[in-house]
Amino acid sequence: MASVAVPKRSPLSEALKGVRLSAADYGSIWSWIATVDHKRIGILYGVSAFVFFMLGGVEALLLRVQLAQPDSGFLDPDAYNRLFTMHGTTMIFLVVMPMSSAFFNLLVPLMIGARDVAFPRLNAFSFWLFLAGAIFLNASFFTGDILNGNLGAPDAGWFGYAPLNLREFTPGHGLDFWMLGLQMFGIASLAGGFNFIVTILNMRAPGMTLFRMPVFVWMTLITSFLIIFAMPIIAVALFELTFDRLFDANFFNAEAGGNPLLWQHMFWLFGHPEVYILILPAFGIISAILPTFSRKPLFGYAFVVFSGIAIGFMSWGVWVHHMLTTGLGTVANSAFGVTTILIAVPTGVKIFNWMATLWGGSIRFRPPLMFAVGTVAMFTLGGLSGVLHSMVPSDFQQQDSYFVVAHLHYVLFGGAIFGLFGGIYYWFPKFTGRLLNEKLGHINFWLMFIGFNLTFMPMHVSGLLGMPRRIYTYNGEMGWNLWNQMSTVGAFLIALSVLVFLFNFFRSLRHGEESGPDPWDARTLEWSIPSPPPEYNFKEIPTVSSRDAFWHQKYREDETGKIVPVLAGGAVDDEAPEDEAEGEHGHGIHLPSPSYMPLIAASGFPVIATGLIYDYALVPVGFALILIGFFGWVLEPATEEE
Amino acid sequence: MKQLLNRFSPRRLGHLVPIFVLLALLGLFLSGCDTDTPQNTFDTKGEVAEKQAEIFYIAMWPAIAIMILVLGGLLVIMLRFRERDPKYVPPQIHGNTRLELAWTIAPAVLLLAIAVPMVVTIWDIGREPSEDAFRVNVIAQRFSWEFQYPEYTDEDGTPLSVFDQSGFHIPAGREVAFYLESVDVIHSFWLPKLGGKLDVVPGQVNVLWLRADEPGSFSGQCAEFCGLDHANMTMTVIAQPQDELDAWAAEMLE
Repeated sequence: MASVAVPKRSPLSEALKGVRLSAADYGSIWSWIATVDHKRIGILYGVSAFVFFMLGGVEALLLRVQLAQPDSGFLDPDAYNRLFTMHGTTMIFLVVMPMSSAFFNLLVPLMIGARDVAFPRLNAFSFWLFLAGAIFLNASFFTGDILNGNLGAPDAGWFGYAPLNLREFTPGHGLDFWMLGLQMFGIASLAGGFNFIVTILNMRAPGMTLFRMPVFVWMTLITSFLIIFAMPIIAVALFELTFDRLFDANFFNAEAGGNPLLWQHMFWLFGHPEVYILILPAFGIISAILPTFSRKPLFGYAFVVFSGIAIGFMSWGVWVHHMLTTGLGTVANSAFGVTTILIAVPTGVKIFNWMATLWGGSIRFRPPLMFAVGTVAMFTLGGLSGVLHSMVPSDFQQQDSYFVVAHLHYVLFGGAIFGLFGGIYYWFPKFTGRLLNEKLGHINFWLMFIGFNLTFMPMHVSGLLGMPRRIYTYNGEMGWNLWNQMSTVGAFLIALSVLVFLFNFFRSLRHGEESGPDPWDARTLEWSIPSPPPEYNFKEIPTVSSRDAFWHQKYREDETGKIVPVLAGGAVDDEAPEDEAEGEHGHGIHLPSPSYMPLIAASGFPVIATGLIYDYALVPVGFALILIGFFGWVLEPATEEE
Repeated sequence: MKQLLNRFSPRRLGHLVPIFVLLALLGLFLSGCDTDTPQNTFDTKGEVAEKQAEIFYIAMWPAIAIMILVLGGLLVIMLRFRERDPKYVPPQIHGNTRLELAWTIAPAVLLLAIAVPMVVTIWDIGREPSEDAFRVNVIAQRFSWEFQYPEYTDEDGTPLSVFDQSGFHIPAGREVAFYLESVDVIHSFWLPKLGGKLDVVPGQVNVLWLRADEPGSFSGQCAEFCGLDHANMTMTVIAQPQDELDAWAAEMLE
């Protein structure tokens, strides 16, 4: 290949080539570490996100045990504050976002008929930087005097309001780890966002016009745009905070003329689009599941897509509803109250369209459908309590009460997490070749559904009875006891449901029923290739002539308008090109080579961050690592010469 | 008949159990809000809280109606259109523009309709405190409150200052203007039975007016996370007739 060739073969470049080839052996651990394959990166994202899901869940259980009764001494206030800060930060940045990234990675190239994302190494860099940031953030637990039971994690809430986040009020390094860790996720998410925008805009199979794309791909595109515009805002806020905390600047220090509300404006101008960054991927997932399990196309594709776009735009105009009680005045409160009410319109459109998709269908009660319908139902409740918040005067009572805790969990757990679980049940067979056990799946769903409602429904009541958020204890006279006990019992039911899922997951990996390429009679292209998909995804890039491309390969209308299977059509091409696939690259399909450079570059960031906190001498070391990583990345050949 | 029986078979009813649980929770939910616990936001004792609760109800009833519509609709759809013949492929309906426009416009109209009283109330309770309001300066600090009374001064002209978290006094039946200041981080001043909260932001003075209709004792607490002991930043405010308040202040000043 006459690509930008390395001029002369030095021994160094030969050695590097050897290292790369050892990683090309698809099966060794090195092949996972150096992988640039979107499917493997997706699995890495998913597995890490699930580990953090359990960590954040354990944190939640500790909080719930503390709150199960008034004046409980289970946790001291310091530990409680650190745990709720980490619970929120973990669930948002380390669970829902990377879990969504997992689905983007696994599915987008398969759904648009591509062999990988546009920038495979940048993709690996996103993952490693996310993981570095996640480990870095959690390392903060150990900065306290942990042997004596003092945790060291951040303790200013996941929102880290100024001026509480300044060193004067929050000494200790926990918050430094938080702000620098978040900065790393920001960079990782930005890289991912750009990658998926370019992939979706440029790498669609012939005939896959924008309006033939599966809705999941649309939601990925919208989410990616939200990411690339939202993340820079939090980056600026975090940089200012970094200067305040490390170099005695005064951005947020009111005494020195800084403005504490500036932080809130930036945080929520990022934070509200972030809410849709968290929920739109789940909307995409259920827009794939509902049609498959009702055997009907998505009702009103254009409305669903455009309402998603509308949500994307409107999400930039509602951030002040997080700040209605800060005293911005009646004009601001009226304006943002009305915009917030109106964002319920495009969301409602989606819910009605999903219901219409099910209407008239032939609905199969399989676990993915249960989770998808659960998402629609629970998100509806979360959306309705959201409308109650948008009623500004009544929000003055609800703001920072447990009513808000209930609302946000209905949206982010009932919406996002239920949707993501549905996605796992739905696509697990595609990437493992085996089905998750059906019975356990139903047990998983009902336990989670009941546990979820038992946990969060009572929080509406405790909030309306005046229970504020983020309190480690309360007086038994307040009338909150019963509601808190219910929540705690529910939380353990959720934990039990997750254990059932884990058992199901590991059991099915080995003993699950073999799925074949298309176990659900699905509609989109990823089901047209074998399970698990070969390294190169599509032997031949498909040509697309309609929405639900795979469905139309399988079914057609006969003269009477009845839908009948296409004879001999839709046969999935599950025979790998046998003789060719044996040899390395023998199939003649060019795939990007594995590379260690993204990992090396990503590893520089936590080194810099550690240096900023403890010893500036480490900062240049980190920069050197990043430079080495990027230089190696640029200089190594994109594909191995044959 | 058999079909009908089948529809109500224990297995099918089993699917309804979670719905009953949900309804039972909803019943509990509604009864729970009907108590006189110390910080119940529905047990309103003042003009502002009342108006805020009214706005809550204006949105709550349509919300409950839509909830029943969607959840009930889902349940009906799930039962009615469940798979009966694995080979059956239903007609492939791609959408219906009129229907979709209807369920875009109808909610928009409904939402804008409830937005009207909402905006009216924002301006109503968001007005400046009236001229004859009783002024209290509230100084928030981690993790306690201080009330200063400019109307009651000692011989040197220093206003009466109270730190007793279990007994801040205000007049009943008269508007009280709280001038909120923070000496450290952001707090939030909240007396649920009298009205919603307003944040106490360092570097600015936020003004909140409330009125206790009747004499009584009101529980409140800091609603913005402010650090280690945020949970214990509580207060009790006692509303009493003006003459009793004057007497109390005179005693405090001695």
